[in-house]
Amino acid sequence: MANLLWLQGGACSGNTMSFLNAEEPSACDLVTDFGINVLWQPSLGLELGDDVKAILQKCISGEIQLDIFVFEGTVIDAPNGTGEWNRFCGRPMKEWVKELTAAAQFVVAIGDCATWGGIPATAPNPSDSKGLQFLKREKGGALGANFTSKAGLPVINIPGCPAHPDWVTQILVAVATGRAGDLTLDEFQRPKTFFSSFTQTGCTRNMHFAYKVSSTAFGQRKGCLFYDLGCRGPMTHSPCNRILWNRVSSKTRAGMPCLGCTEPEFPFFDLAPGTVFKTQTVMGVPKDLPEGVDKKGYVKLTAAAKGAAPAWAEEDIFVV
Amino acid sequence: MTDRNSSPQDDALRQKISGLLSGGLETEAWPRAETSEMVNEIVGRLHTDAGDDLEKKLVIGGFTDHPIEADEIEQPCETCMYYLVHRRFCELPEFMLPVEPNWSCRLWRI
Repeated sequence: MANLLWLQGGACSGNTMSFLNAEEPSACDLVTDFGINVLWQPSLGLELGDDVKAILQKCISGEIQLDIFVFEGTVIDAPNGTGEWNRFCGRPMKEWVKELTAAAQFVVAIGDCATWGGIPATAPNPSDSKGLQFLKREKGGALGANFTSKAGLPVINIPGCPAHPDWVTQILVAVATGRAGDLTLDEFQRPKTFFSSFTQTGCTRNMHFAYKVSSTAFGQRKGCLFYDLGCRGPMTHSPCNRILWNRVSSKTRAGMPCLGCTEPEFPFFDLAPGTVFKTQTVMGVPKDLPEGVDKKGYVKLTAAAKGAAPAWAEEDIFVV
Repeated sequence: MTDRNSSPQDDALRQKISGLLSGGLETEAWPRAETSEMVNEIVGRLHTDAGDDLEKKLVIGGFTDHPIEADEIEQPCETCMYYLVHRRFCELPEFMLPVEPNWSCRLWRI
């Protein structure tokens, strides 16, 4: 039996909604098959008011062993470092977070807001939001760069806007069943099992990427979304085209550019006008190139591939 | 030159554009769209000022009947993302024009 407590800071509940749609394993499987005891969760918990507060206090005192503390949303510091803009159970949420993370065996941040600040931390960041252990790419966040939970691990970051439900449940199962030691984390503390490959890995538009044929509008079935519509699939670490959404699709498969939501900089370019859904260029060359590719190589490869493109690559081959 | 994917209408329009460019139509080939902000500005002008007017499209887009080199990179239509190789056609929604592979415009992107 592993006790899990889930709280929410500056967030939209999107990760909770995602979590409730998990299938492999499902949220119910966590309880029935994997021995996770959900002490409280904002959308599932039955307790209200003082009864919730009592659970939190017992976790902090050790009366209830807190095995996994899950946090969704940013840690809000405003105004003036007090955190008063996000009060919960009679005090600023940031204070609960500090004490609960100190009491927990494992701490898991779910979604961009909890991992690196996400949309609430977009400049000018009026709520003075932070992720648990990062603010965008900068390590530190609300808990500090050196934080480790009682089990000796830093915060386990599962980013995404929202995180895919199965990323959440699979990591929770690994932790709850004593296999946290098998998890290897990358430099941003993301489990490598999910975040080493790219969104582009498994994308159905890869042949259009290869022949440099561009989509020019959302929802088009032909063409690659990277060249014009701002798709960040070649630079974004996620398994969105390996572990499909609702088991059937992904953004890019549906003709919607990847927004790079598992990366610390999301939302990119601080959502400045003209930057969303538009590939940013410098003298016609994309500002952000596929990871590991330099400008000279990209230009050479692209010119050659374009010249070699077969006619079918420029047509809609997905005939019903 | 004909292409199996280039229609007679495309061919006729391509010839007309070629005539305009070789006939001295002055286009805004410079400055090139160096930044995304400049791209957005030019695309905006294509919407508001050009519409379906062919000559205005060519002028604002900075069309030339030869490649332009900028930032040490040659910018011919044939390497541009909007160019359809087999149809010899520019698929940028604001243009949608038949072109030649060695032409160029300032919205070139690779």
